[in-house]
Amino acid sequence: MARSALSSKQGAFKGGAVSAASYIPAATVVAASALSLLPIVSVTGWWPNAGFLMLIAWRLLRIDPWPAWWAAPLGFINDLLTGAPIGLSVTLWSAVMLAMEFVDSRTQWRDYWVEWAIATILITADCWFDWQIAGLMGAPVPFLHIVPAIVLSMFAFPIAAMIVARLDRWRFGR
Amino acid sequence: MAAPAGSRPGWSRKAQYSLFFGLVAAIGGLVVGLILLVLSLLAPSAYAGIRGAALDVTAPVTGALNEVVVTAQGIVGGAGDYWNAAEQNASLKRERTAMRRQIIRAKAVLQENAQLKAALGLREKTSQAVAVGRIVGSSFESSRRFGILSVGRGDGVMPGMPVRTADGLVGRVIEAGSSAARVLLVSDRSNIVPARLLRGGVPVISTGRGDGTIDVRPLEVGRNPFKRGDIIVTSGTGGLYPPLVPIARIVRLDDDGALAVPLADPAQSSFAIVERAFEPAALAVAGTPANR
Repeated sequence: MARSALSSKQGAFKGGAVSAASYIPAATVVAASALSLLPIVSVTGWWPNAGFLMLIAWRLLRIDPWPAWWAAPLGFINDLLTGAPIGLSVTLWSAVMLAMEFVDSRTQWRDYWVEWAIATILITADCWFDWQIAGLMGAPVPFLHIVPAIVLSMFAFPIAAMIVARLDRWRFGR
Repeated sequence: MAAPAGSRPGWSRKAQYSLFFGLVAAIGGLVVGLILLVLSLLAPSAYAGIRGAALDVTAPVTGALNEVVVTAQGIVGGAGDYWNAAEQNASLKRERTAMRRQIIRAKAVLQENAQLKAALGLREKTSQAVAVGRIVGSSFESSRRFGILSVGRGDGVMPGMPVRTADGLVGRVIEAGSSAARVLLVSDRSNIVPARLLRGGVPVISTGRGDGTIDVRPLEVGRNPFKRGDIIVTSGTGGLYPPLVPIARIVRLDDDGALAVPLADPAQSSFAIVERAFEPAALAVAGTPANR
């Protein structure tokens, strides 16, 4: 946000494809949220939350994939699609945008391992918060039960990051 | 939040405002999210409309995709059956003769039961099917265990109604759109089902563990009444679930209870039957937030 406010809007984009290319990140996050509509009837809930992974992958790759406040409506769509308590992703995703703003201001450089570590911390925080809310809603499972979900999400993040990097190259026609 | 050292907004008013409003907007999103979340926790019924509508929009997609998966599985499974048809045929014939004997015995017991009930003057409560649908999806991204059912309010399904398959109990409806519903599976941590052991009738409590298994504890502390392979059935206490619906099979014993696996596997069962609540008065209680 800080840096995006400084850079001129047209700086990152080439020519006329500004509007279309700038909506692609948000659109892919919604598409990833919609993966929860797949007819997978699973007895465990260990699959990664694809929408969240896409969100952090985009935000780690670029400072300004979308205006910061878009995280709230994107989270709302995610809540509706996945059936999570309404407000859960709105809160979490807005918090992620703020947290990343802080991370951006404190890190001088980031290599791939640092990005993965940040993603792991964000994923763990997401699962922990999700777990707390489930507990408040009358389903207090032991924390150990959600550890497999965290580990799976952690290893799914590089896949999301790869997809996002390719999409980013493609949207600027490189 | 400290401004980034490397890129201060400088003297440009426009850039300063843009940065400031960006942050304010994100914080605003966070606050709105928290308010929505608190409302979700305290008054989940406030969202019944919008969540029902979301279900109506999304469930047909899941249902259509599910159709494709079922067809593909059918082709593969059909080919597999063809492969060892002779062996399967022989074992099925053996099973059939054994079954027939059991059915005759069961019929005799049923008849005797009916006579005894008539003698006692008990009125039989028949469980009526409200609608029949399919479990087309699930919450595979969260620790809560929900299933998506392909029937909704338009078919008479209301929140609180029990859902079962021919094999056993699946759970109960917690949200209903007009053409789809969300089912709280028996394996969810918040789904507590009053039950009893089929062998001996010891009253037990079944609680989901969130990972596809069920935790079973006897109501009275003391000796562990369970054995491996025991079947637990609903007791009908509380009025939400009809009695004598099979729930789970015990697979492992622990200190004061046991671990069980649900008999109705929502991933396998093709049809799910929605029934009326055993005691309609229990529906009103089931809809309150504390029971969600």
